[in-house]
Order: sequence, then structure tokens, then C-alpha cells
Amino acid sequence: MTEILIPGDLIEDKELLKNNRFYISENNKHYCTLVSLYNNRLIPLEGYWYPNIDETVVGIIKEVRNNVFEVDLSHFLRAIIINDFRNKLHFNVGDVIEAKVKAIENKKTIILIYPRLLRDGMLIQTKPVKIPRIIGKNNTMINQISSFTKTSIIVGFNGLIYIKGANSSMAISTILRVEKEAHTKGLTENIKQILQKELELTEK
Amino acid sequence: MASSLNKPELLRQDGKRLDGRDFDELRPLKITANVIKNANGSAYTEWGNNKVLAAVYGPKEVVPKHLSDPSKAVIKCRYAMAPFSSLSDHGRSGPNRRATEISKVTREVFENVVLTKEFPDTAIEISIEILQSDGGTRAAGITTAAVALANAGIPMKDLVYAVSAGKIKDNIVLDLNMIEDNYSDADMPVAIAPRNNNILLLQMDGGLTKAQINSSLDKVINAGKIISKIQRQALLDVYKID
Amino acid sequence: MDVVNFVKTNYIKNLLDKSIRSDSRGLYDFRPINIQANIMENTEGSAQVDLGDTRILCGIKMQVEDTKEDTPDEGNLIVSAELLPLASSQFESGPPSADSIELARVVDRGIRAAQCIDLADLLIEEKKAWTIFIDLYVLNYSGNLFDASYIAAMSALMNTKVPKYEDGKAVMEQRVKKLKVDNIVTSTTFAKINNKIILDPDENEEYVMDARLTIATDKKNIRAIQKGLSGAFSSDEIKELVDRSFEKHDLLKDYINSNTK
Repeated sequence: MTEILIPGDLIEDKELLKNNRFYISENNKHYCTLVSLYNNRLIPLEGYWYPNIDETVVGIIKEVRNNVFEVDLSHFLRAIIINDFRNKLHFNVGDVIEAKVKAIENKKTIILIYPRLLRDGMLIQTKPVKIPRIIGKNNTMINQISSFTKTSIIVGFNGLIYIKGANSSMAISTILRVEKEAHTKGLTENIKQILQKELELTEK
Repeated sequence: MASSLNKPELLRQDGKRLDGRDFDELRPLKITANVIKNANGSAYTEWGNNKVLAAVYGPKEVVPKHLSDPSKAVIKCRYAMAPFSSLSDHGRSGPNRRATEISKVTREVFENVVLTKEFPDTAIEISIEILQSDGGTRAAGITTAAVALANAGIPMKDLVYAVSAGKIKDNIVLDLNMIEDNYSDADMPVAIAPRNNNILLLQMDGGLTKAQINSSLDKVINAGKIISKIQRQALLDVYKID
Repeated sequence: MDVVNFVKTNYIKNLLDKSIRSDSRGLYDFRPINIQANIMENTEGSAQVDLGDTRILCGIKMQVEDTKEDTPDEGNLIVSAELLPLASSQFESGPPSADSIELARVVDRGIRAAQCIDLADLLIEEKKAWTIFIDLYVLNYSGNLFDASYIAAMSALMNTKVPKYEDGKAVMEQRVKKLKVDNIVTSTTFAKINNKIILDPDENEEYVMDARLTIATDKKNIRAIQKGLSGAFSSDEIKELVDRSFEKHDLLKDYINSNTK
């Protein structure tokens, strides 16, 4: 059964509370706090990104100091990369990078590691709650967009997506479409057909 | 609440209100969510002749910084009426004393339901613009802002609604329009968290007996079921694919 | 600086070097224009204009006021603009910003100079005249507020009905005749980015532009000009842009006329 829950709705199935950060409990009852899709799991349809360790992010260097790079993830939490003295990193303000979340300190600062410079290409912003759908089960969605449009795509869980390659505008419009239709069924197959059609049109 | 000598008759011969409504009947209410492209969340409401736009930005950096709270998000709220919103004269733009008070009590409503502790050191900004007014704009503003907050993905304990009750010739009526608001014997806007019927905003002026207060609250809670349903539908309609 | 804007800056500049815009429209194309007139029943006239993602609501109120000593035979026209905080995360609540005042004044100048409204027509009787309040409410900011405001103000004026005047006061419930509008003025706003000139900049293009030029014209005359920001235009560029502004006037006027009842 698929339905959409809104803030204040009772969550009856306790299984749904696993891996779900946003519910509240009162008198042993549990209530939804975000507009969420209920489909065996409870998936928020709106909301912000809450970093988990090892997640990939895409961001931009916004400040360079002696041993710290401040990274703008387009998010309300501060993010930093601590420079390693043995293997000194060189970034300039404005560089686009991908990195992984190493830790979250005091609910306020995200520590990033393994930064890698992303040259040229384009950056788009999507709603972070839609990122799991944009990636798809076992990367199916993003791999298919990438291979059809001959682009390399790096998806940041913070909602920023980096795209580089031949048909990036088609890749972008497809990703934005997935974002818009994220809650619908059979999306991977639908998107595949759309991509096939568009490719036929452009080849003609 | 003018006790003017030439007070207009607020009930018709058949006992109904001037616009043909029964005492408990709400004006037509329509809410659309996700209407402002730049905002994190938004909603537009037409409630009778009221037209209200609400938008939410944030969580974002607090400006000025010394207002930030390391334990939770601060909520900023702006309620303002457009200078062209009323049928009578052109109004002054910008918040006046009335608007400043309404902004404050509205902010306090949302401080109750928003999980502010999730976003320390940030600000959540709620803007409510009354584009057209016909009585009950603070209630319409709260009802709209609640939808905008949910649309923005701000976690909340509940989806708040608001409506006002009032008294016309010893009858408790709901959802007063401008003329009723101006000449009724009492006006009582109420905001409620429907899950446990917690009352989050309560203002009153005029004159009500204890029994009339009780009856007003019961009627508000009863009408709330209709308002909540329309709020829910607005949030669901965002995901309709055309 | 906002992170995403920073990246868009480079992207927009790189594309413009090849004379391409990020939404793939031509350098001198407007974004889609949509006008909804008469949507606010409490106003004497109203129009909501979408220019791409920029959305402006214009409300017109008319009010009876005493005539001023220095203009005893005329009414008055007052244009105000509000950059509402709900329209952009950059807009703050508070007293009018310099940007909102500039916007209102540029629109005011064009409408006044083009004599769209004959202020003498607003005189009702000795010492009593109408004041027309034109309020521009920016509901979503996505660049080029000038052109969208001109379209909104003109569309609202063209749909304005004058209230009944009786026993020394206005009867707002009864609007009895159409407001006489004698002329239509429209504007075109150009942005200069890395020596490329484009029409109708969106918010990202405005973010990177070096200079801005707004030219308001009617059919025959230029009625208002406002150059903005620190960059410069050559006199040849200005001459060319004046020509382009006249060319676009007919298009914009058709939009406004087709939304007049």
C-alpha cells in the first residue's frame, strides 16, 4: 500500500521507525514529522540532508586557511577539510570538489576526507531527499542516465550534482525529471524509454 | 469591535448570516502548496475573499549572528498586509503595530510545533503576505504558513490550523468575515494542533460567557477537521503528475 | 558568496563567450511572458505578471485626496515597489531597500514622462482629486524586475476602474468607469557580461553582469533611461540598444493590450 503521510500522522507500523530520524513519540505512540511516502518504508518527500559517515558530497571551496579548507555544501551545516601536512592539498576558492563525510562534530560541523578536484563540467542543485531516487537501487538510475548521455556524473548526498561530458544538458533535464517524479512507480523503466526516444530524435 | 450606534444588522430575516452561511459554516477554503519557486516551501490560500501567500526560507544562517541560539533554530516570522489588500483606502506599506503583534503570536505558534532543536544556530524564516483581506487574516496566515512549513520539509510535531469564533446576537459563529469582525459582539481567533487539540494561539476581545467560550472552542475543533483535510490535500496535490 | 552562484557565474560566462545562454534562448529574446489581469477584487485594478520565473503582482488603489497647493488642477500618481522577503532569500524584511526605491522611481518616471495618465483628468471638483497608488509586489525574484514591473503596472492601469464619487467621498464598492489611459510605455533591460550584451537577464545573469541598462519607450519616444552598476556602455552600444528597445515595444504592447478587457 502506498500513501503519503503528513506531519502529525500516526505511524502504526513500528518497523517503519527503523532508520527514520524524523518521528516523535508521545505516550508510546509515534507520529510523522515530515511529508513522507509510506511504501513498506517511510521515505521523506521534503526535507534536508542529514549527513551520514561515508556519504559522498559535492561542494565548493569557499575559504582557504592555513590548515583548513571551508567547503560550501549549500547546507546549513559548516563543512571543512583538514589539510594533511604530509600530503599537502592545494585547492583554490571556487574549486568544485567531491569528498566523503568522515565525521559530524557537535551536530554543527561536517568533517570531510578524500577530497578530489572536479574540473570543468557543470553543477546542478536538487532536493537532497530526492537523491536516493536519482541514484536508484544499486545505482541503476544514475548509471543508465550516465551511459545514455555519455556523461560522468557525481552525485552528492547534499543535493549538488556534478555533470561532465558530451550530452550534459540531456543528463540535467533527465535528472530534474527524476527529481520531480521521484515518488512515482516504475520510474527507472519510464526514464529509460524517454532517454531512448530523445536519443533517436537527436540522432535524426 | 465597534459598538457604533448605526451598527449594521449581521443576520438576515431567515436567521442566516449576511453571506448566507449557517453559524458554524466556514467560507470556501482552497489551499495550493509549492507556489513560490525560490522558497524552500510555500502555500497560497483563498479563504472567502482573503488571499494569503506564505513562504518559508531556511534553515539558514542567522543574521545578525548574535541572535543565533546554539541549542536550537530561531524562528522569524513576518505578517504583513499589502497596501492594496483592503477595499477601503490604500494602506501604509510595512509592518505597523498590529502586524508586529500578529507576527509575534504567529511565531509563538510555530515555536511550539517545529522541531527547532534539530537545527542549532540557524534561522527559519516564515513570511506571510496578506494580498487581499476580508476578516480572519491571522487565522488564514497561520493555516497557510503551516502548509508552507510542511512543504519546506521542516519537521513538525503537527500541522496547525487556525480559525476564529465570534458572537453575533448571542449566537456563536465561526470564521467571521470583515463586516462581522467589525460589528460582532466578540471575536476569538484560535490556533490548534489537531493531534491533541492543544491550543497554541488564543486571543479574544468583546464579551463571552463561560458557556460561550466552551461552545466556541468545541465549534473551532469541530471545524478544524475540515480545515485539516484541505491542508492535507494541498500537500498531497504537490505530487500529482499532470 | 553563495556557492551555487559562484559556479553558475563561470558557467554563464563560458557559455556567453560562445553567445549561448544557459536557458538556450537568443541574446535578445525575452523569457515567456504571462499576464493575469483583474485578480484582486479589492483593488481598482490589478495584474500579475510572470516573466520567466520572475513574478510581480501590481495592485492599484484610488483614493480621494485634497489637491496640492502647487498643482491645484491635478491629481497624483504614486509608484511603490516592495521586494518581499518571500520572493528571494536575499530580500530582507524592513524599510525599503535602495533597490526597491530605484525600481519604483524608474517605473514612476516612465509612466509620468509618457503621460500615460493625464493628471488633470484626475481632478474631481475644486480641491478634490484622485490619487492613484501603484504598488508593485515582487512575489518571486528571478531577474529583470524593471521590465516585469512596467508590464505589470501598465496591465493593471489598463484594467483599472474608477470608483463612484458621491457627496465628497469615494464609494469603493461601486466602480463606475474605466480609467483613461492615454499612452502605453514599456521597458527593455539589457545586461552587459564580459562585453556581451543580452536582453532580459535572469537572476544568475544579473548576478554576474557588469552593467545594466533599462530603456523605457512608447511608440515614438524614449521616456526613461536608467543605467545601473559600475560597468560601462559605449555610445554606439547605447544607440543600438535604443533601436532594439523600440523594436521590442510593439511586442510588449501587444501582450499588454491582449490582456485588457
